[in-house]
Amino acid sequence: MKSFKYLSMLLVLMLLLTACGQAKETASPVAAPPDTTTVEVPAGTETSADKSQLQVAYSWPVYIDPAVGSDEASSSALVNMYDTLIFPTSDGNVIPWLAESWETSDDGLTLIFHLRQGVQFHDGSELQASDVVYSFNRLKTIGEGYGYLYTSVASATTVDDYTVEFIQNEASGLFLPSLVRLFILNEDLVRANTAAEGAYGEAGDYGKTWLLINDAGSGPYQVTEFQLEEYLLMEKYTGWWGEFVENAPDQVRFVATTEAATIRTLMSSGEIDISDAWQSIESLENLDELDGVSIAALPTFSEFYFMMNTRIPPTDDINCRRAMAYAFDYDTAISLEWPGTQQSKGPVPAALGGHNPDVFVFSRDLAKAAEELAQCQYADSIAVYPVQIHWVSEVPDEEKFALLFQANMAEIGIPVEVFSTPWLSVVENTGAQETSPHIVTIYVSADLPEAGPMLKQRYHSSSAATWSQNEWLLDETLDAAIDDALSTIDTTERFAKYAELQSQLVDLSPSLFVYDQVQKNAYQDYIDWPAVRGETSALLGYFYFAPEISINK
Amino acid sequence: MSVIFLAKRLVHSVFVLLGLSIVIFLIARIVPGDPVRLAVGARAPQWVVDNMREHMHLNEPLHIQYGYWLRDALQGDFGISLVTRRGVAKDIREFLPATFELALYSLFISVTGALSFGIISARYKDRWADNVIRIFSYLGVVTPSFVFAIIFLLIFAFVLDWLPAIGRLSNGLTLPPRVTGMVTIDALLIGDFNVFWDAFKHIIMPALSLAMGSMAQEARITRASMADNLTKDYIASARALGVSESLVMRRFLLKPSLIPTVSILGLDFAAGMGNAFLVELIFNWPGLSRYGMNAMLSKDLNAISAVILTFGVVFVVVNICVDIVVGQLDPRIRLSTAKGD
Amino acid sequence: MSISSQSDLVSAEISPHEFSQLWRASRRESLGRAWYKFSRNPLSLIGAGTVLFVIILAVFAPYIAPYPEHVKPFTDFANASNPPSSSHWFGTDEIGRDILSRIIFGYRFSLTMGLVVLSIVVPVGVFLGLVAGYFQHTWFDTIIMRITDIFLAVPPLILALSVASILERNLLNSMLAVCLTWWPWYTRLVYGITTGLRNEFFVTSAEITGASKFHILFREILPNCISPVFTKMSLDMGWVIIIGASLSFVGLGVQPPNPDLGTMVAAGRRYLPDEWWMSVFPALAIVLVVLGFNLFGDGLRDLFAAENS
Repeated sequence: MKSFKYLSMLLVLMLLLTACGQAKETASPVAAPPDTTTVEVPAGTETSADKSQLQVAYSWPVYIDPAVGSDEASSSALVNMYDTLIFPTSDGNVIPWLAESWETSDDGLTLIFHLRQGVQFHDGSELQASDVVYSFNRLKTIGEGYGYLYTSVASATTVDDYTVEFIQNEASGLFLPSLVRLFILNEDLVRANTAAEGAYGEAGDYGKTWLLINDAGSGPYQVTEFQLEEYLLMEKYTGWWGEFVENAPDQVRFVATTEAATIRTLMSSGEIDISDAWQSIESLENLDELDGVSIAALPTFSEFYFMMNTRIPPTDDINCRRAMAYAFDYDTAISLEWPGTQQSKGPVPAALGGHNPDVFVFSRDLAKAAEELAQCQYADSIAVYPVQIHWVSEVPDEEKFALLFQANMAEIGIPVEVFSTPWLSVVENTGAQETSPHIVTIYVSADLPEAGPMLKQRYHSSSAATWSQNEWLLDETLDAAIDDALSTIDTTERFAKYAELQSQLVDLSPSLFVYDQVQKNAYQDYIDWPAVRGETSALLGYFYFAPEISINK
Repeated sequence: MSVIFLAKRLVHSVFVLLGLSIVIFLIARIVPGDPVRLAVGARAPQWVVDNMREHMHLNEPLHIQYGYWLRDALQGDFGISLVTRRGVAKDIREFLPATFELALYSLFISVTGALSFGIISARYKDRWADNVIRIFSYLGVVTPSFVFAIIFLLIFAFVLDWLPAIGRLSNGLTLPPRVTGMVTIDALLIGDFNVFWDAFKHIIMPALSLAMGSMAQEARITRASMADNLTKDYIASARALGVSESLVMRRFLLKPSLIPTVSILGLDFAAGMGNAFLVELIFNWPGLSRYGMNAMLSKDLNAISAVILTFGVVFVVVNICVDIVVGQLDPRIRLSTAKGD
Repeated sequence: MSISSQSDLVSAEISPHEFSQLWRASRRESLGRAWYKFSRNPLSLIGAGTVLFVIILAVFAPYIAPYPEHVKPFTDFANASNPPSSSHWFGTDEIGRDILSRIIFGYRFSLTMGLVVLSIVVPVGVFLGLVAGYFQHTWFDTIIMRITDIFLAVPPLILALSVASILERNLLNSMLAVCLTWWPWYTRLVYGITTGLRNEFFVTSAEITGASKFHILFREILPNCISPVFTKMSLDMGWVIIIGASLSFVGLGVQPPNPDLGTMVAAGRRYLPDEWWMSVFPALAIVLVVLGFNLFGDGLRDLFAAENS
C-alpha cells in the first residue's frame, strides 16, 4: 500500500500549497476593511427556525448601495433597507413618508420638505436634514443607479435639522415623484466607513466599498448577512417608525437563483416563498401545477419594444416600418406570454399616469401591410436590405419573438436576419448610429409612474446613443414638445400634452409596441401578498416591500 | 528529489507565469471600450472618470501600465471587479476555497475510482468485468463534463430526487465559521454533522461530473500499464516463487504501473479546471470558476485576468507536485529529468 | 527552395515519374496491409463507421434531415415542446422545431469547427515544432518553446473561454480562440520527435551531403512526424468539437437561431427536467461524434504503433 502513501502525500501537498496561497493573499494589503462579508449576527440569536422568514428568489447581481443599484433586484433590497422622503402608492400618487409635508414655490423651482422627527437609523442615531443633503449629494456625484433622475436639480440644503430645501434648474412636475428613488443614508455611519482613497477626490470612495455589503438606512429591514452571489439576509428593524402588518416576516432572504429546475424544487419543498420574475412560460405552467402554489401576474411599468433604427434603409422609410407593424402577428406573440398580457397601446405602458388609451393600435393585416410596403421607397429592392433583428441573449424568451417576426415578414417578402446579442454588446451597438442595428428587442421600464419620463427616455434626442433608444429620431420639435410637457406643473395639462405626444409617435411608428409586460412570480398560497391584489406601486422594487407582506403558515 | 531539478522547475515556472501575465495584460487592454466608463457607469460625471483614469494610470504608455499592473498584481491587488464592485483579490479569496474543495473531492473520486477500476480490469483482463469497465471508461473519456452534469442532474436530482440540484448548502442552514473556506471541512471542525452531510450531498454531483473524464482516462492508463507490466519477467518469477497473487499485484505491479497514471494527472487536472467553468455554472457552485465564467460573460477584465493568472499558478504548482510524486515513484525518471530536457 | 528539392529528387537516380510510380505502388500495398490490420479491430471499425456516418449526415443534411426547413426562419408554436414521437423522433424545441433535424445540421458546425481549427493549428504547430527542434539550443528554440510553455500554462478551455469572451460572439472567433490554445500541443509533439531525430544517422548524413535545411526539415524529419501527428489529429477532432461545444454552451460560439449542438444543450437546460429531450439528445449527439473520432484515432494509433515495432 506504499503507493497510496504517495497519493495521499500529493493530496496533502496540494492542500498545503493552496493554504499557503491563501495565507499569502490574506496578508496582502487590500484597501477594504478586514473580512466584512458576513456581518456579525447579534450574539444569542435564536436559530432561524424560530423566526418567520420570507424567502424570495432573485437574480444576481444586487447592489445595495443606493447610489449604485437601480435594477429590479437592487431596488427590491433598497426599498426594504432605506426610507425615502415620500412613498409611492398603487394609483401612481405619492404620500408623505419621511417628509410629513412639503411646499413648492410659485415658480416651481424650489421645494421645501419638513421631516418627521424621531426617525432612527439602524444604529439608533436620528435621521436629520443633513443626512438627506448628504444622500442627495452622494447620489448626484456618483451618478450611477438612480443618480440621473436628479441631473436637473441644482442643490439641496438644510434649512434646520428637520427641513430640507431643493432647488431645481428648471421647473418640472416630475421632481417630486422622483424622490421615491432618493434613499436616505446615515451620513455619520457612511463617513466613518469611507476609504480615504478613491475616485471621488476629497470624498474618497464615498463609502462605496463599505456600502456594497452593509446598509446605513432607517428602513424596516437591516442587512445581517450578505453572501455574495448566494443570498442577502435582512432582519426586521424593530425600531422602525412605520408599521409592520401582522405576521410580517422577521427575516427576509433574497436567494440568488433563477435556475428553473431549482426554483421548482425549492417551491415544491416550500424553501422559496416567492419565485424570481424571470421564469419561462413553460416553467410557470409547471409551477402552477404544484399544490399550494399560485402564479401572480403583476402589471408593470415596462413595455416590450421592437426598436427600429430610423436612420438606415429600409427602416428609415415610414411605409416600410408601417408595413412591418401591420405584418407582425401580435396575437401569436401575446399568446406566447402569460395569460393576462395585453398588447401595448402606443409608446408607453397603460399602467403609467398620462397614458393615452385612444391611440391607434396596429393589428395584423397582411393586405394593409402589402399596401404600405408598395409605397415604401425600397419596395422593389427590399431583398437587398435584409432587416437585422437583435434580441438580447440573456433573455432567451426574446428569441421566440424575433423568430416570429422573421416568419411574419417572410410572408410579405421582407428578408429578416436574426441575431442573438449579449446585453453588453447591445449597449455598445446602440451607442453609435453606425452600429445600431435595424431592430433591437428590448423591455424598457419606466422609472417614474408617469408617461412623460418614459417618452423622454425613449424618444428624446438626449437618450439617443443609449440602449433605451435605438430609433435615433433626433427630432428637435419632438424634443421641445417632450420638454415642454415635462415642465408643465399642472397635472391635467401635462397629461394632455403626453397624450398628444403618444398619438404623434404612433403615427411615426418608430417602434413596434408589442406588449405591456406582466411580471410573473410563482408564490406560495400562505403568503399574503398585497402586490397580487394590486395594492402596491408597480415601481421597481415595491412589490417586495416586506413590512406589508404577511406569512400565514 | 533532486533539489537542482526542483529549483530549475521553479525558476522556469516563474518565467512562464511572467510571460502569461504579459499575454493576459495585453488581451485585457486590447479589448475596445473604456474600462473606467464601464466601472463607474455611463452617467457618472466626467471628472470622476478623469480622476479614475489618472488613478489607474490609464493615460501612461502600455509598458508602463503593465509595470503598474504587475506591481499591484504581485501585491495581490487586481483592481475592482465590474460585477461584484469590490477588490478582485478579495473575490478570489472568497471563491477559491469552494473550487478547491470541489477539486479535492473530484481528485479523490477520480483517483480511487481509476485505481480500483484499472486494477480490476487488469486483473480480469478480457473477462466480462474488464469489458464492461472498458466500455464505460471509453464513454467516460469522450463525454464532456457538462453533459455528465446535465445527465446526473436529471437522474439524481429530478428523477430519483436523491441529491440537491444546485448550490453548496440548503437554504436555512448557516455556513460554518470560515476556517478553510471548505464547507464540509469547516463543518467537521465545529462538529456540525448536519451541515457536513448537507454540504456533502451538494458536492457529490459536481465533483462526480468533474471526475468522470479523468477517472475514465486514468483507469484506462492504469489498466494498460498494469497489463503491460504483467508480462514482465519479474512478475512471472515472483509468481514462480510462490508469492501470493494479491501480493504480486500490490507490491510488484501497482507501484510501477502507477507512474503513467500519476504522470497524466497533471494534464487531467488542467482539463478538470477548465471543465469546472461549466460545471460550476450548471450547479451554481459558488467557486472561482463560476466567478471567472461570469466575469467572462460580462467582460469584467480585471477579474478575467486575475482568474486566469490564479489558474495558471495553480496549474504550474500542480504540475510541479506531479513531477515530484512521479520522481518519488520512479528513480529513473528523477535521474533522467534532472539532466534537463 | 522548390528547385533544390526538385534536384534532390533527381539526384536519387530515379526519374521523378518512376519515383512517384514506385511510391504509389508501395503506398498502395502498405495501405492495403494497414486496412487489413485496421479492419480486424472491431472498435476501430465502429469508430470509422461512426465518423463516416456523421460526415454523411453533415454533408447531406438537407436531404437526410426530416425537416430541413426547421433550421431556417421557422416557428411553429402550436407544436412547441412536443416529446419524442413518430413524426419527431427526438421531439421538438420551445419554438416547435424538430430537434433531430437541428442535430443533423448541427454536425455541420461541429465538423467545420474541428476541420478549420486543425487545418490552421497543425501546420503552424508542426512548423514551429520542427524549427525549434532542429535548431535546438538556439534562440529559435528558446523563443518558440518558451511561448509554447506560456500558452500551455493555462488549461486550454479556460484560455479559449477568455479569448472568445472578449471577442464578438460568433463561430469564427470561437475557432480563433481554440486555435490560440491548440497549436502548442503540436509544437510540443513535433519538437519531441525532432530533437530525437536530429542526431540520427539519416539526418546527419543529409547534412554532410550538403542538403538544404529546408530539405532536411521537410523531407527527412517531417515524414517521421506524419503518423503521430495524424493520430493526434484524429483524436483531436473529438476534443476540438468538445471545446467548441463548451464555448457555444456558454453562448460564445455559434449563435442562435443557427443549430449548434452546444447551444442546443444550453437552451434545453432551461427546460429540464420536464422537457428533457431538448438537451439530452443534442448532448448524446456530441458524445457520439467524439466517440467516433476517438475510436478511429485509437485504431490509427495501434496501427502505427504496430508498424513501427
